[in-house]
Amino acid sequence: MIDFVQNTVDGIMFGSSYALLAIGFTIVFGVMRRLNLAFGATIMLGAYAGTWLHVHHEVNLVVVALTTLACTVLAGIYVERLCFHAVRRDAALASMVSSFVIWMQLEEVAIHLLPERTYAFPSLFIAGSFEIGPLLFRGEQTTMLVLAAVMVGALHLLLQRTRYGLALRAICENPRAADYMGIDTPRVMLCAFALVSLIGGVAGYTILATDEQITPFFGLWATFKGLIAMMLGGMGSLPGAILGGLVLGVVEAHALWYLGNEYKDLSAYVLLFAMLVLRPGGFMGQRILGREELAFRRV
Amino acid sequence: MDDYVITVLSNIAMISFIALSAYLLLITGEISFGQQAYFGLSAYAAGAATTMFALPIWAGILIGACVAGFVAMAVGALTLRLSGLYFSISTLAFAEMVRLILLIVQVQVEVDGEMVGPDGANGFHDIRWMFERNISLTEFMLFIYGLLALVLIALLLVERSRLGSVFRMLGSDDLLTEMQGLNTVRYRILAAGMAGAVAGVGGALYAHFTTYVEPQFFNVMLGVHALAYGLIGGLGTAFGPLIGVAIDVGFLEAVRFIQGYRMIVFGGLVAVLLIFMPRGILDEERVHRLKTLFSRWSHARAQGR
Repeated sequence: MIDFVQNTVDGIMFGSSYALLAIGFTIVFGVMRRLNLAFGATIMLGAYAGTWLHVHHEVNLVVVALTTLACTVLAGIYVERLCFHAVRRDAALASMVSSFVIWMQLEEVAIHLLPERTYAFPSLFIAGSFEIGPLLFRGEQTTMLVLAAVMVGALHLLLQRTRYGLALRAICENPRAADYMGIDTPRVMLCAFALVSLIGGVAGYTILATDEQITPFFGLWATFKGLIAMMLGGMGSLPGAILGGLVLGVVEAHALWYLGNEYKDLSAYVLLFAMLVLRPGGFMGQRILGREELAFRRV
Repeated sequence: MDDYVITVLSNIAMISFIALSAYLLLITGEISFGQQAYFGLSAYAAGAATTMFALPIWAGILIGACVAGFVAMAVGALTLRLSGLYFSISTLAFAEMVRLILLIVQVQVEVDGEMVGPDGANGFHDIRWMFERNISLTEFMLFIYGLLALVLIALLLVERSRLGSVFRMLGSDDLLTEMQGLNTVRYRILAAGMAGAVAGVGGALYAHFTTYVEPQFFNVMLGVHALAYGLIGGLGTAFGPLIGVAIDVGFLEAVRFIQGYRMIVFGGLVAVLLIFMPRGILDEERVHRLKTLFSRWSHARAQGR
């Protein structure tokens, strides 16, 4: 029983970083109605830039963190300009494939930066485990959870209390109406990308600082975990992304404990497939519009 | 020809099958990230047929294609009500499920004193049908191209037929298709099954060409590449995906001096291409223009004679 609780706690802690990744996907999807496959790769490139400085110039933690964030944002802006801004608005498919090839491109740039398989990533200095009753809380993971909570809180304020947040929500609701209201849609989209990259950079940094290593598979891993968490919660829904991330973390933690390592990823995909077949809208997403409603909308 | 050239040419052909498979779904308006699952399932099924049950290779290919086709139809039926991104992600989830399950499955039997069969993460070794019969790589390559030509002709015929029109109609508007009195459910499942079987033929050939398959090969990169080929080459004709494959594999192998930077160059090129041609090089409009041009030309020649 205590194992179960401990696993659940660990899962929630780690799931909080999945939630941040999922938020990244969900905001871009909400604003653009398109999927940014290069999201994980931008985070990876940022983290590689930070690690490169750490390996070759022995810089301290703060510089690594700042470089990671700055390079992630720059890479995100590059992806937005090339794959989303420049591609025609009705060609969502082209955008997705374009972001995929840019993913491959960024990954290769990162590998040229640091050609070996694994590098040590500086761990967070706050790390110190503590116990509450029989439960063990790992320091880094607690930091992760707290950071994620702070980010979500700040994001909530940004979206609900500022003019920019209002513009972003308006575009999510109805892009054309937002255009008519005089909202500078391309600029809001660019800022949304920068914002999302920032969130992704924070998530990536804390994950890597917890793992204390970085490999070339990180881009793929981050993209998929974020994507699965977003779909579980429901596309385009912010609370859904958070819930999806936490559920994914908990399920993986239990699968790892009770079934073994090879079932950890499998459990995530089985859960996702079952969710899509049985309840495509996810936990919190809108119900997929039925045929009649679609027809009605068109009339 | 040396073995290296033959391997590259064969790879182009075998990847073409999965590109055609993704293309077939693309024209019905569905984006699948998961065609590699059928490629992999069929590679395992066909490999098992020829090694564990000592069947001839045509039976292996047939079994592989049928397994892939039927599984694809089942998945198609389960995901019927999904569309757009939901469909794409569900195919991705399914394909990763298949890959991770194949990493666990261990079914080995003893044939001629040796253990053969899928061996979990170690892959499926010794699919030696080709070597046991002293078939050279060149002969097998010609066999692969023969089958590719057959599949291509079949697809071109389908596109000319009523079925092809229905597929394209589904792609542009499934509500309107249904209003024409067509059974969209049946056509969707049919398209999924056909696409699965086409990928399956490629997978069965792949298993026998390389004699060794491992689940890691059927990862999502293969599927997304397959999808990208159709979109680079163009969605107007079945030749489109083949052009995409030739550009990718051919270009990468030909330009040796950019080795190590190939994705940087290729990725940039494709991204720029997609800005100007969002539906690929041979899109519907260009194919139509080429066709008119060709018919005018042949008409003029016939009159001149």
